[in-house]
Amino acid sequence: MVGIGLLVICLQLIAGVFRRFLVVAITLLAPITVLLLIVQGLVNPANRTVVVPAGGFSLYREGLLIALLTAARLVDLIAATFLFSFATRPQDLAEALIQKGLSPRIGYVVQSALQIIPQTLEMVSRIQDAQRARGLETEGRLLTRARAFIPLLLPVVLSSLVATQERAMALDVRGFGLPGARRQRYVLPDSVGQRVLRWALVALVPAAVVSRILGWR
Amino acid sequence: MRPVLALRDVRYRYADAEREAIAGVSLTVSAGEWVGVIGPTNAGKSTLCYLAMGLAPHFFGGRLRGELTVFGVDTRRQKVAERSTRVGLLFQNPFTQLSGARERVSEEVAFGPEWHGLPADEVAVRVSEALRLVDLEALAERHPLDLSGGQLQRLALASLLVMRPELLLLDEPTSQLDPAGTNALLQVLAGLHRSGTTIVMVEQKLEAVAALCPRVVALADGRVIADGPPEAVFADPAVEESTGLPAYARLAKAAGLPPPWPVTVEAAEKAFHRA
Repeated sequence: MVGIGLLVICLQLIAGVFRRFLVVAITLLAPITVLLLIVQGLVNPANRTVVVPAGGFSLYREGLLIALLTAARLVDLIAATFLFSFATRPQDLAEALIQKGLSPRIGYVVQSALQIIPQTLEMVSRIQDAQRARGLETEGRLLTRARAFIPLLLPVVLSSLVATQERAMALDVRGFGLPGARRQRYVLPDSVGQRVLRWALVALVPAAVVSRILGWR
Repeated sequence: MRPVLALRDVRYRYADAEREAIAGVSLTVSAGEWVGVIGPTNAGKSTLCYLAMGLAPHFFGGRLRGELTVFGVDTRRQKVAERSTRVGLLFQNPFTQLSGARERVSEEVAFGPEWHGLPADEVAVRVSEALRLVDLEALAERHPLDLSGGQLQRLALASLLVMRPELLLLDEPTSQLDPAGTNALLQVLAGLHRSGTTIVMVEQKLEAVAALCPRVVALADGRVIADGPPEAVFADPAVEESTGLPAYARLAKAAGLPPPWPVTVEAAEKAFHRA
């Protein structure tokens, strides 16, 4: 578990993602780990061996180990997700999936879904500008901002719906959905090493399941 | 001249609508023409574009009667996407015309040709050609959302031009642009007109229509109320009542000049000199 974590973090360093991961690790993962250590160390039902004696608040070895295992799993999961989402261009992912036989329509859905957030933020800022121009306070104390959030909802939802209709038309006008015509946009680099690694990872999945069943650690 | 767009007694009613949006229109647009379409709200201007593109009835449903052909093909028999190699439609809002799936201006323009299955090298040639036509070459690698409204509208236009359409339909293309953005877009359109593209442009800016379009069609309540050169159309009392007049014609009228009033700066200058 720790080995996997270290491997992912090494890969993050290579991909230049580690800095961003570090922020999440400090602000989110570290407090969770501390909390897990305290709770599991104190009250896990498997607790037998005292490590830090403190009367009724003693910490036990078994609980601490379980807490560390859980924390390591969390770090592995989040670190891997981070590596994936910051080192992969959504476009390349969608293109690769399409070249592997995914319907281009679904590919478009994947690509556009990944861009929805920046686009919605753009729309929100335009609506907020208009609301500010009419005297609504949208900045300042938390309560003021919370109050300004409610009148934002309806225009955002409505303009999203209108935008969807116009976008559907505009896509139609550009030939979206013509059956069977689409060719690959670009050749994605795929070296022998990458291919070998990919298949090796695929083979590792059943191996991991089997080892789990057989009770290896 | 061979007709590009031909309507004969066309009537169209949107699904669930009480009255016809287009109530008996006969109109022929020939190759190479630049037709300005004017009229008040709900006159049927946008609907005319949707009909020519095939969005009505293919996208909107509703009921279409009469004869409507584009390049000789009945619109009812051709899907919108199939038509997109010969006809392009530009909408009002530059923002909603983005595919929403591309991170670079050049990739956004390539979206259409890719769906048409063009080989990658040809797509690249067409994309740079289209970006050159709308003067966006310098921004090819930017993110579309970093562009201004005027630039975005030119990007939307480039996304149509990349298909090399022979007929361009424009539904109030400048309504959300500032004066500089409007000017830049209209200049691009003038260049396209010179190179032979047929243009049908719905536009509220009457001065621009009068200065650029050799032919103006005025709609009201789903019917054509005037059709001809700008001076003749703006001399028609029915057009003045429903749509208004370009600033120069208003000025000439207020100064007591007889109709037809001048509709461009140059014509107004001459008219005032004579008077």
